[in-house]
Amino acid sequence: MTPPPATRHRSVGGRRSPTGVARYYQLYELLSNALNDGTIPPGTALPSEPTLVTRHRVSRTTVRRALERLERENRIVRLRGSGTFARQTHDTKKLCLNLHTFFEDIPAIAGKTSATLVRFKSGLAPAVARELELQLGENAQVIQRLRKHNGIPYQLSTTYVPESVARSIRQDRLRRESVLTVLDRMGPRTVKAEHSMTAIAADATAARELRVALGTPLLRMRVSLMDGKGKVRAVYEGVSRPDRLKVRAELERDFGVKPRILWRLKR
Amino acid sequence: MPRRTNSRTGIARYQQVYTVLAQALAEGTIGAGQALPSEPALVRRYGVSRTTVRRALERLAEEGSIIRRRGSGTFARSGLQRAESAKKMTRILDDIRGLGTNTRSTVLQFTKVLTPEFLLRESPDFGESALLIRRLRSIDGEPIALMTIYVPERLATLVTPKRIRAEAVRVILDKLGHRAATAEQVTSAVAADPIASRHLKCPVGAALLNVRKLVRDADGQILDYTSFVYRPDCYELNTNIARFPSSVTRNSTARMRKSQTGTRGKDRGSP
Repeated sequence: MTPPPATRHRSVGGRRSPTGVARYYQLYELLSNALNDGTIPPGTALPSEPTLVTRHRVSRTTVRRALERLERENRIVRLRGSGTFARQTHDTKKLCLNLHTFFEDIPAIAGKTSATLVRFKSGLAPAVARELELQLGENAQVIQRLRKHNGIPYQLSTTYVPESVARSIRQDRLRRESVLTVLDRMGPRTVKAEHSMTAIAADATAARELRVALGTPLLRMRVSLMDGKGKVRAVYEGVSRPDRLKVRAELERDFGVKPRILWRLKR
Repeated sequence: MPRRTNSRTGIARYQQVYTVLAQALAEGTIGAGQALPSEPALVRRYGVSRTTVRRALERLAEEGSIIRRRGSGTFARSGLQRAESAKKMTRILDDIRGLGTNTRSTVLQFTKVLTPEFLLRESPDFGESALLIRRLRSIDGEPIALMTIYVPERLATLVTPKRIRAEAVRVILDKLGHRAATAEQVTSAVAADPIASRHLKCPVGAALLNVRKLVRDADGQILDYTSFVYRPDCYELNTNIARFPSSVTRNSTARMRKSQTGTRGKDRGSP
């Protein structure tokens, strides 16, 4: 999010402030977003405490609590006498998934990271099973994995594959390889992916595995992998920490649908 | 063992439990009429006290998303309905995007600003100043997305307050000959800050989908930078990705396959 300068002058909370959310947290969230999107770039000074007090109409204690939290998270540094500064972010360490090179990036990311197999079994909750098995055409097997990069967990995923396919998967391969690669080796080749993204609050399991607080926003990706006949070969659902995985796409305009402006992935 | 809900996050524990349960209900993970886990089960799952669980459930009951029946448990009320309406909204958004029917777009802000540092760092060619437009998009009175748009100064005079009331910035520029050709898109999940919370009617800290797009014309000139924040219960970003025939299989079979499936992805999800 990009809070523009003018909105920074708004007070946080106010009469309509929802219960259950501390004022300091609201200020923290504003500052945190400004640091994330570079509105306050690394190395530059944050507004002074008195300025924050006036701008957001909160107490000095509230301002301090918000700053203390950012300091604890190593996102700012407070220098006595000279102010508070944004720290260098570690964006370069962030993994990147490019949707326009999806089929090359997925195996590449699997090679750079390591996965722990959390679950590998058949038998699904009946409701889930019905829908999936219609898509897969037979009983589904669950592959649940936790993926780490530089030792830090960033993605919890569940992949459903047909049982016939699961039988020939070597479990140890799933630590280093993507399901896409494993499926490719077996054939037929995957030629299409239906990809969908949304945001989701971390539930108890995701919070525990990804080491974040309950309710932390995560990016959820759902992908159906399909072969040349349009048959679904696997259904993937993963939640990832947006501070660890960047999802990018280069797009080009589809001029075939004038006058509307529609985009497609760059070839 | 479940990790204890962190009380130092600034969000009360009951609020965290509420957020997660409200999401499960809205998504239909707990379908309409289905029972919620028992109070002791929720206590164990989230590592919180019984009082915390009760406060979260009370709030859900007040909002009408669950029904508590003495002796038999707690049940989801409208989970399915809400999931259905969410799907409908995504469809509507896909179909009539940019045409202005049914969707309403309110301009919240229209200011000349210095180009923010982060934009200059990523795209030094953006120029020193920009026109900042913030608008809220609603469907049937329901807020769906908050948009923050930066237009480079050289194009700012074309985007008048009168024009943006009627059309999307990109459509205005398009009609005036500044035609969008390429875009770089980054997708992320963010917590609702107080501004997003107020406009999108969601609690502070709620998970929102963030899509940022830098759009250029065929000559590589920047046309706009837009950050969309969507309510996840109303919107999903869908992309169809087709695989290029690999060099190994680049033969007649591959060519046939190409004609069946096409080799281009189509981003249907955003304007």
